[in-house]
Amino acid sequence: MSQLGLRRVVALWFVAVYILVGIPLWYKLTTIYRAPLPSTYIRSIQENMHSDVHVVVPVYVRSETYKFPDIHDAIQAQVNALILSKATAVNWSLQVLQPEQGQVLDPESDHVLTLVLDDFTGYSVAYDSKETFVFFDNEAVVSNDVPFFAAQTLVEHTFATEWNHISRGEDENDGLREPNSEMAISYAPAVHLSISLLTGDGRPVAWDIDSTLEQYFTPLRRFLSPLVNFTVDTSIVQFNDLNLESLHQSQNPSWQDLAHTIDLSELSSMNYYLEKNALNLAIVFPSPEVGQLAFINATKERPWQSFMVPQWGALVVNKEALPDNSRLTKDYLAPVIYSFARELFQFLGLTSETADLTTPYTTIDSFKRLTTLKSLEQGVETLWSLVKLTEQFPQMSVPKQVLDDVVRALDLRLQIIELLNDPNQGGDVTWNKALWLSNAFVEVCEKAFFHKEMVQQNFFPQEHKVAVYLPLLGPLSVITFTGLINALREKKESTDPDKGQESEEKREKEAAESKVT
Amino acid sequence: MRLPGYLSIIVAFLTIHVVNANPGHTNNWAVLVCTSRFWFNYRHMANVLSMYRTVKRLGIPDSQIILMLSDDVACNSRNLFPGSVFNNADRALDLYGESVEVDYKGYEVTVENFIRLLTDRWSDEQPKSKRLLTDENSNIFIYMTGHGGADFLKFQDAEEISSHDIADAFAQMHEKKRYNEIFFMVDTCQANTMYSKFYSPNVLAVGSSKLDESSYSHHSDVEVGVAVIDRFTYYTLEFMEKIEKNSSLSLQDLFDSYTFEKVHSHVGVKTDLFERIPSQVLVTDFFGSVKHIFKDEHDQSEDFNAVIKDGHEQEDYVDHIVNLAIEKKRKSVARSSNATSVEQAPLINSRESLVSFDKSKTEFKWSVTVPRVIFFSLLIFIFYLQVQDKTQSQSTLRC
Repeated sequence: MSQLGLRRVVALWFVAVYILVGIPLWYKLTTIYRAPLPSTYIRSIQENMHSDVHVVVPVYVRSETYKFPDIHDAIQAQVNALILSKATAVNWSLQVLQPEQGQVLDPESDHVLTLVLDDFTGYSVAYDSKETFVFFDNEAVVSNDVPFFAAQTLVEHTFATEWNHISRGEDENDGLREPNSEMAISYAPAVHLSISLLTGDGRPVAWDIDSTLEQYFTPLRRFLSPLVNFTVDTSIVQFNDLNLESLHQSQNPSWQDLAHTIDLSELSSMNYYLEKNALNLAIVFPSPEVGQLAFINATKERPWQSFMVPQWGALVVNKEALPDNSRLTKDYLAPVIYSFARELFQFLGLTSETADLTTPYTTIDSFKRLTTLKSLEQGVETLWSLVKLTEQFPQMSVPKQVLDDVVRALDLRLQIIELLNDPNQGGDVTWNKALWLSNAFVEVCEKAFFHKEMVQQNFFPQEHKVAVYLPLLGPLSVITFTGLINALREKKESTDPDKGQESEEKREKEAAESKVT
Repeated sequence: MRLPGYLSIIVAFLTIHVVNANPGHTNNWAVLVCTSRFWFNYRHMANVLSMYRTVKRLGIPDSQIILMLSDDVACNSRNLFPGSVFNNADRALDLYGESVEVDYKGYEVTVENFIRLLTDRWSDEQPKSKRLLTDENSNIFIYMTGHGGADFLKFQDAEEISSHDIADAFAQMHEKKRYNEIFFMVDTCQANTMYSKFYSPNVLAVGSSKLDESSYSHHSDVEVGVAVIDRFTYYTLEFMEKIEKNSSLSLQDLFDSYTFEKVHSHVGVKTDLFERIPSQVLVTDFFGSVKHIFKDEHDQSEDFNAVIKDGHEQEDYVDHIVNLAIEKKRKSVARSSNATSVEQAPLINSRESLVSFDKSKTEFKWSVTVPRVIFFSLLIFIFYLQVQDKTQSQSTLRC
């Protein structure tokens, strides 16, 4: 093979490597990886939210005096009719069950309806269990009203909170009704509680907060633990009375006056806690120099007044300053904790502003189911946002991890729905598990949405890519392709023998001339 | 004559009541960004620190202010007043004097970090204090200053953010319900181009100058040696100094205060994405943090009656959620102690049986065992000696 031929082959090889290896490699290395998310499935879930959910709450009915063989079917029929009378955001029903022979019912775990023969008709929902009593007289039995009484009591009283959230008028949108309280923090399974004692000056002060919390708050913390886990810290802050001294002469300040004066910024730092949400309880004493706070409506028994700050916590403001070297004992702190406990239910969104806590067991039970449903909604919305974003930004990378999380989230969703839909499961354990899974579901959805790598390339304009690639690929391309073109040109010259001879003669002539000069 | 008078009174009364705190938000956040480095850009740092002081004064806690400062002029060797930053030639107010929490400083101020901050896409290690943990109830005030041009703002003389990037970041925030309303303020050359690409709802924006127009500095300090503040920010601060937490002035009042004579450029406002009209938006809706405070109306004497004290009689029990919890705990303790007696009985027995293996209780006490061992070993030793003696005597016989 001649030298020219070799050069031609080499140039061709370079171009071939450039095209066959270089370009695919470049393409492979620079393509943004976008994992294929199950967007159609997520879209269909989002469009038909809760269409595959049918919450079934089992209720055991027992009768203490009479034996009604068909009472369960009759109550079930009445309950169904009542539920069907209103449109609902979620399929929701009660499963009326008869306790099996020898089955011991635990009203703290399962809903139990007890029919009691009495002189009057009425109902009562237990304070310390999930038991509902329906009282009936003989007339009601004769006129066959007992099933209706029972059904009405269940739907409109025992499950009133849940039913009000789930049912909706015709003009309302899909989805669950949001509570209209601005007080409540958004639900999170872990909440931090920061308890502070503030004094307007630097005199020494102590408090028996540890033993008080142990005695009064720890049981409550345990009681609420299936719903919310609290972490608690306490601190004494001196020389800070939240700027209350500027209000000490004011007799009846409006909420604006309070809001504009009271400075909570020092107590609002969330950075020290791992939890997403934090609530505060601040017990404030003015300094002796300020004197009495006129606007505090205190009594002899209660030297303080409580204020609520939406989504922040409670302020317990004392009328008088603390005497020197004081120690706040349990006698002082216990009522504060009792008062705060009721407010806590409002902050958690368990009760409305009226602070009505007549049936805590059923309220908490309903709250678990509603929170589970809301979490399902929230998680699906997050997934849908993720899908929309990936469609909107074609430059955004979608890592494999995001796909894995989405698949896991959808799997968790199905597990939750299975639990909710099963009519045979409905004890405390079931709802706790559903709530726990729904928290995990929301967390996985958020993790998928906020994946770290989904920012890269997003703010990287196309012109920048050209600016990066051109200096790198430009010289390579120029050399490879001009080399090939040169080789091909030379091939043309060498195929024309006359031209070749002429040029050789010309070169010889030039060489001779240069020697002469 | 009287009717217009009455009407004007009614209108005035209505306006007083219309401009009220917006109940749509419950928390306020501020993101304050200075994008330029170097000593001669002193004024950009001063701009941002002035804004920082203002929002802090009006009640936004430090934990809800993200401060990005790309240089540290306070500690610059050219600073004649070390540790201090001033925004006025009278040097009445040291902006760096009180506690300043800078969240991102120096080379941390990058486009990537800014976008990450807005979209909250971080690795797990990112501390809470450096994240924008907003939700659907948050009003966010975003202030940016630096050197910019048409549709871009330079970061650190090394990279730039485009108006599209910020618009897309806002879209992502809106998608994940990370804000209730955003007030975007930018002080740079051709600033109005920076908000021109926004498309997400509930974003109100104001810029210091229009396309092809520069923003100017206000004045220099001879001793500091460089300009100390920009015109737009200077007049914003002049307005803000009048604001207290209970101020009823609206953002429209702020916008009206900007004139070409003062700012020397055309201030632009983008209101088309914003649902409310600026005259109904209190300045403190963005620059302050006003929380509603309500008296707790529930009957607290019930709480006092319900308290279970030590030595409390059972008959005095009053239904209260704390008492219910205490009762439940007592029951569960009782239940678990009952259960212990039945279910864990064998375990306890086994523990007792373990105890019975205690050497002190066995017959093989040390006091008995040791002499026995010595006695037996002596016996063996004597026996061994005797056997050896026998063999030795036999051997001697043989010899």
